[in-house]
Amino acid sequence: MLPRHHSSNGYPRHKETYSISPHRFQPRTTPAAIRRRHTLIFRSIVAIILCAFFFFIWPGASILPVLSLGLLSSGEDFQLETVRYYDLSNVQGTARGWEREERILLCAPLRDAESHLRMFFGHLRNFTYPHHLIDLAFLVSDSKDRTLPLLSELLEELQADEDPKQPYGEISIIEKDFGQKVNQDVESRHGFAAQASRRKLMAQARNWLLSAALRPYHSWVYWRDVDVETAPFTILEDLMRHNKDVIVPNVWRPLPDWLGGEQPYDLNSWQESETALALADTLDEDAVIVEGYAEYATWRPHLAYLRDPYGDPDMEMDIDGVGGVSILAKAKVFRSGVHFPAFSFEKHAETEGFGKMAKRMQFSVVGLPHYTIWHLYEPSVDDIRHMEEMEQERIARENEEKERAERMKKIKDQFADPNSQWEKDKTDIQNEAMKEKKEKEQAEAKAAEGSAKDAESSTESKESKEDSKPASKPEAKDEKTETKVEGKDAPAKAQ
Amino acid sequence: MGPVRSLRRSSPITMIVGIVLIIIIFVFLVSPSSSDSAASQLRKANAASNPLSPPTSPFRKQNEKSNGKRIPPPVVHYHMNNVTSSADPLGNRETILILTPLARFYQEYWDNLMKLTYPHELITLGFMIPKNREGNAATAALQEQITKTQKSGPMKDRFASIIIERQDFDPPLASQNEAERHKMENQKARRAAMSRARNSLLFTTLGPSTSWVLWLDSDIIETPSTLIQDLAAHDKAIIVPNCFQRYVDPKTKQPAERPYDFNSWQDSDTARDMAEKMGPDDILLEGYAAMATYRTLMAYMSADGGDPRQEIALDGVGGTALLVKAEVHRDGAMFPPFPFYHLIETEGFAKMAKRLGWSSTGLPNYKVYHYNE
Repeated sequence: MLPRHHSSNGYPRHKETYSISPHRFQPRTTPAAIRRRHTLIFRSIVAIILCAFFFFIWPGASILPVLSLGLLSSGEDFQLETVRYYDLSNVQGTARGWEREERILLCAPLRDAESHLRMFFGHLRNFTYPHHLIDLAFLVSDSKDRTLPLLSELLEELQADEDPKQPYGEISIIEKDFGQKVNQDVESRHGFAAQASRRKLMAQARNWLLSAALRPYHSWVYWRDVDVETAPFTILEDLMRHNKDVIVPNVWRPLPDWLGGEQPYDLNSWQESETALALADTLDEDAVIVEGYAEYATWRPHLAYLRDPYGDPDMEMDIDGVGGVSILAKAKVFRSGVHFPAFSFEKHAETEGFGKMAKRMQFSVVGLPHYTIWHLYEPSVDDIRHMEEMEQERIARENEEKERAERMKKIKDQFADPNSQWEKDKTDIQNEAMKEKKEKEQAEAKAAEGSAKDAESSTESKESKEDSKPASKPEAKDEKTETKVEGKDAPAKAQ
Repeated sequence: MGPVRSLRRSSPITMIVGIVLIIIIFVFLVSPSSSDSAASQLRKANAASNPLSPPTSPFRKQNEKSNGKRIPPPVVHYHMNNVTSSADPLGNRETILILTPLARFYQEYWDNLMKLTYPHELITLGFMIPKNREGNAATAALQEQITKTQKSGPMKDRFASIIIERQDFDPPLASQNEAERHKMENQKARRAAMSRARNSLLFTTLGPSTSWVLWLDSDIIETPSTLIQDLAAHDKAIIVPNCFQRYVDPKTKQPAERPYDFNSWQDSDTARDMAEKMGPDDILLEGYAAMATYRTLMAYMSADGGDPRQEIALDGVGGTALLVKAEVHRDGAMFPPFPFYHLIETEGFAKMAKRLGWSSTGLPNYKVYHYNE
């Protein structure tokens, strides 16, 4: 059939180019095919919706393992580095650390220090040592004020600073409460009896801070109290330049004029003395010698007392105990195990024990008697009492002066009154005299009798005035004291 | 055409079957990756953003912007009030730091380490290796094993983090061989150097989140695989198992075991008297006939078939295997490299911990085994 059909029609045929002849049956796109296409589209839409649905159910599951059939499931882990290699001979600490990019760990233990933080951050911003080489570590313990929120706020601010030279290296805020029972106010802090246990607790806090923050890449560790008021910006370089294992500056504090203007503050930096060693032998195992109290007369040469304001700031002095206000130590000192004994180590604890232990391990411990930083002046209870006394004295003196002035005024008033009275009287008298003269002139015969009567009446009136004034004053005073007493009684009753 | 059309026609049953299949495929694809990544999720959560972070956590390499500017590290809070070290370290997900002063690398040591059943994502390893020829060899061998485990090993075998440190001072003895190492006159210098190595390792790796520190010498080649859980279950500040050595008895040609570590002891009056008479820089040593201290040694207190949970109080501890609560070290208890009450290294450590109010415990019947040269 087909070949015949093919030959019968006269159209030219090119099988390669055009296979459909117009005479052949050509099916139209049937509604069934359209339906099939529609179901295909529908199914793909359902699949897409399902996909979306599952991604909503497992938002955490990454798309990558699904698409790659789990072959790349650990894609992110490839970026995680788990092995660290450190050569500790590269972090020994040298005199010119800033040139060798040596990292410093700055440690600051904090407790109820909110009021000092802004001052401390002022110091931080001013340090001339490259900031990105300094790691900050804070231990906030048992604080009842806003130390923690303020600290985080200031640190965030510092790290986000526009100036690329401001942000520091690693920053750790460590929160740990030791449940300290000792109060932090000045009196209880420096009272003799509380010293031993207080310093053991302080030592514990320091050790926790250091052990949590010291890293294998640190060359130096700098301990700094937040209540330092004035210190050179270059203090890190200045101390580092000496290339000693442990080094401290002299710490003084400014005082109000009535106390002498300035005073040695940190008495924990000292040289050991024979007396103190002999004393140590007599004490029991757990006793702690604390410096600066009459109870332990050690006769040690103190770094603080050796200061000469015009002395060479580079002068060094070997010491055995160190104060904790500002210590720069090589990290290798802490790495080899020297710490702040929270027990009685050779009869010392905390920073003094630290100095002793460093010495025991043959590290050099040095103080700079003429290089001074200034601690904030916080008046002690005695000082406050003294200041209150002074204030009261001042008020008393003022009151006295006021009273004297009043008295003078009163006296003046009192003397001025009779004067004017006298004047008045005088003029009166004169007037009278004038009148008299006139009268005399008018009637010379009656003049002598009239003038004698007038003088008598004027003296009477003056006497009555002087009596009335002093009498009225005491009465007023009594009223005042009475009201005061009542006022005092009232709260007493309320209690 | 008829049957083909009926097959293609979408019936609701095929639709449902299709959807169910898709769901099954999805569940299959998604669930395995989420279940095996419980550990890796933890790893990711613990990962720090830069290499300055505490070495006990893994870190991401980048800390520079694409334009070469440094990104200042973030302010990180560490809540150390929440760090516990309890009798149930697994339940509390407590992290442990295994510290090893490594003089020689023994494959058996590493194999034993890998066998520990404590979740590896909670374990950080720290090594201190001296800088000499032996040390270099040990480092190379160690790094080979580390690469094998951390890069290509199964996820559950990988440790959270590994720290290798090279010592910054020379070991006082040229030779590490057994006879030389144990000579009495060499002991003080050797153990002082050992103390320094231990302290350096400890204080640079401890970090803020560690709960336990396990000291494990590089020549401990056999321990129970549940070592960490077993020791921690006693909930003691300092706990030390008994260290033995396996050997072949030359007479009977039978494998036997003998006590190895004599540094775990209870003090004696004789030892105290000897200490009284000593100069301030002299040290008391254990296990030497020339210095008979008559201390009660834990090494000789083990009984065949004794209860492995039996506890005894100790005054001196050995460091071959030693589990310490991190807070003991944080309070300042370290290994004195100088004579501390005439004691040095681990024995001095026990004394210093005692001065800080922490006592030591020994397990005479719980044994770990030392390498036999």
